[in-house]
Amino acid sequence: MSDLTTLYRHRQLIAALTARDLKARYRGSILGYFWSLANPLLLLGVYTFVFTFIFNRFDIQAYPLFLFTGILPWTFFSAAVLESTTSISSNAGLIKKVMFPAESLPMVVVLSHLVHFALAIPVMLAALVAFTLAGKASVHATILLVPVLMILQTMFVAGLAMVVSSASILFRDLRDIIANVLQLGFFLTPIIYPIEAITSRPLRALFRLNPMTPFVIAYQDVVYYGRLPNLSDTILMIGYAVASLLIGFFVFDRLRDTLAEAI
Amino acid sequence: MTVAITAQNVWKNYRLWGRGSQFATLKSALLKRDLKFEPESSVPALKNVSFAIEKGEAFGVIGRNGSGKSTLLKIMSGILKPTSGRMIVQGRIAALIELGAGFHPEITGRENIYINGIMLGLSRREIDARFDRIVEFAGIGEFLDQPVKTYSSGMYVRLGFAVAVHVDPDVLLIDEVLSVGDEEFSAKCVAKIQEMKYRGVTLVFVTHQLDQVRNLCDRALWIDHGEAVMIGDPVRVVDAYLQQVAGGARATPPAPSSQDQEVPAPSEEPEEHDKNDLLEEERWGSGEVILRRVALVDTEGRDLVALGAGTPVTVEMDVEVRVAQTDFVFGIGIYHADGTCVYGTNTDLEGLMPDNLDANGRVRFVMPSLDLVAGSYRIDAAVHTRNGRAFDYRRGVLRFVVGSRVHDTGVYRPRHDWKFEGGITFRSVDMLKRNVPAPIAEYIRENETPPAPEPKPTFRKRKKRE
Repeated sequence: MSDLTTLYRHRQLIAALTARDLKARYRGSILGYFWSLANPLLLLGVYTFVFTFIFNRFDIQAYPLFLFTGILPWTFFSAAVLESTTSISSNAGLIKKVMFPAESLPMVVVLSHLVHFALAIPVMLAALVAFTLAGKASVHATILLVPVLMILQTMFVAGLAMVVSSASILFRDLRDIIANVLQLGFFLTPIIYPIEAITSRPLRALFRLNPMTPFVIAYQDVVYYGRLPNLSDTILMIGYAVASLLIGFFVFDRLRDTLAEAI
Repeated sequence: MTVAITAQNVWKNYRLWGRGSQFATLKSALLKRDLKFEPESSVPALKNVSFAIEKGEAFGVIGRNGSGKSTLLKIMSGILKPTSGRMIVQGRIAALIELGAGFHPEITGRENIYINGIMLGLSRREIDARFDRIVEFAGIGEFLDQPVKTYSSGMYVRLGFAVAVHVDPDVLLIDEVLSVGDEEFSAKCVAKIQEMKYRGVTLVFVTHQLDQVRNLCDRALWIDHGEAVMIGDPVRVVDAYLQQVAGGARATPPAPSSQDQEVPAPSEEPEEHDKNDLLEEERWGSGEVILRRVALVDTEGRDLVALGAGTPVTVEMDVEVRVAQTDFVFGIGIYHADGTCVYGTNTDLEGLMPDNLDANGRVRFVMPSLDLVAGSYRIDAAVHTRNGRAFDYRRGVLRFVVGSRVHDTGVYRPRHDWKFEGGITFRSVDMLKRNVPAPIAEYIRENETPPAPEPKPTFRKRKKRE
C-alpha cells in the first residue's frame, strides 16, 4: 500500500491543512463552532416537529435523541463525500504548481468533517443526559464503542472520498449526481425511522446494501438502545470500510498521474 | 562534479480527452455508452529531450511560449510524469512555479509560512529554526499575524519567495517568478539566488528575460516545439534564439577572417564547457556588421598583452559594415579567468542612441586606468541590435594578464591608501623582515637602509615619499 505510506509520510501536511481548513472556516465568526452544528440541529428540529406533531407514526421514546444519533454520522458522511468532489479541483493551484501529494486533499476534507462530527458528540451526550434525567432514556456502557464506530466509518468515508475526488476531475457532473444520490440516500437509510419500521425482511436485507445502513444502525445500537451492534452489521461495516479503502486507493492510483493534466 | 538532474529521452504527450470537449460528463459517458479511459488523441509537448545538469550549475531554459519549457520544469519538479524516458533529480527540490501557490487567504501569514513550509517538505521543527529568517526576508513586519488576504500582492509574492528559498533545497526550479514584484524585490531575489548558487544549489530557470539567462546562468537550453535545439553557453544560446526569433532563418556565422571557427551546429552537445577554458575565441552572429579587428592598446597605440594595475588602456574595434544598419549597439565585457564578469557595458546601456552605421569605422573604448587585481582576463566584444541579436559576437577575443607585486585578492583594485590616526601604529620595519607583506617588502627593497625604528605608521612615511 504505497498510498498508505504516502499518507503517513505527509501526516504533518495533512494535519496542518486540516487545521488550516478549520481555522479558515471559523475565522471571523464568533459562532464558528455552532455553525458546524447548525445543519444537524436544523434537520433535527424539522424532523422532530414533523414526526412528533404531524405523522406521529413511530412509537419511539425520546425521538429527538434517536434522530440525533443517526443524523450526526450521516452528516459526516454526506458532507465529507460531497465536499471531496471539489477537493482537488478547488486546489488546482497546488496540484499544478506545487509538488503536492494529491491524496492529502480528500483526506483533509474527511478529517475536518470528522472533527465537526467529534465536536458535535458532546451535544449528543448532553441530550442523552437530559433525556436520562427526564427518565426517557438511559446511559449505557456501550456508548464507549462510539470511537470504534467512528474509526470504521472514517475508513469507509475516506475510501469513498478518494474515488469521488479523483473521478470528479474526469467527470465534471459527478458532484451533481452525488448531491442527488445523497439526498435520496438520507431517506433510504434508517435515520428518521428505525430499521424495524421496514416490515418486509427481504426489503430490510436490501436496505443493508446501502453501506450507511449498518453504520447508522450501529450508532443507534450503542448510543440509543444501549446494546452491541449485531454480528452481521459488524461484518458489513468492516467489509465496507476495507473495500472502500482498497477501491479508493486503486482508483486514485490509476488517476493520479492524469490529475495535474486533466484538472 | 556530480550530476544533479538527468533527463534521459524525455517525452511528454498531453492527452486530450473526449471529442474535443474539455470536460467529459459521466452522464454523457453513460448515455452514449462510451465510458472510455483511453485518450482520443495526444499532443506532444516534449520530444526526446536529454541533458544533464551538474550539481551547483545555473541552467537556463528559454524558448517561445508553448515550446515546452514549463512542462519540462514541471517534470523536473515531479508535478508531471514523463510519458516515456526518465527524469532523475537528486536532492531536495523546491519549485518556484507560482509564488505563494499554497497560501490560504483566510489565515495569517504566520500560519501560512508553516503550511507552505510543510508543503515544501520541511518539518515543523525545521520551520521553527528558519522562521525568523523567512519573516525578515519577506519584510512583512506587523502583517505577520494578519490574514494573508489583507496583504498587497507584493507582500504575498515576497512571502512565497521567502519560504521557498529558505527550504534550503539542493535543486531550485524557478519559472518566470523573478519577473514579478518591484525592482527592489527583484534585486533581492537575484541576490538571494546568487547566494544560493554560490552555496552550490543547482538552479534551473525558465524565463523570457534573456538578460537573466545571460547574467545568471552557466549554461542554457533552448527548446522549440518540444525539442532541445541547443544547449551550451548562455550568451550563445540566447543569441541563436534571438536570431531565430528575428529572422526565422538560421543565422550563418560571419566568415570575415580565416582564423574564425565555425559556430557549432545547433543541438550539438557542447564540449564540456569549462569556465577556465579561455584558450579559444568563440564567435557567432548574423554577420551584417563584423568586428574585423579587436585590440587592446596603450596610449601610443601599441598592442598590449600584459599590463600593470592602473595602466591606461583602450579597446579598439575595427568595424566592417556589410549591410547598413540603423539599430546597432557596441558592447564590451571584461571577464576574469574564473568566469566572473568584472565589467560589462554597451552603448545602449549608456544611453547612446544609434543613428547610422553605413560605412566602415573604428570604435575605441578608452579606459584612463584599468584598476584590476593581478590575474588573467579576457575581453568580449560585440556589435548587436538593441534587443540583443548579435551581428558579430566575439567571446574571448582578447586575453591579457595583469601583473602586480601586491598579492591582494579579488578582481577590482580601487585606488586606495591606508591612513592611521590615534593609537594605531605598526611595528618598525626591522622587526618585519621575517614575514613581510609585499608592499612593505617593496618599500624595504627600495630603501637600502631601513628607516629608523621610530613608532610611526610605516604606510604614512611611504605616502609622503611618493
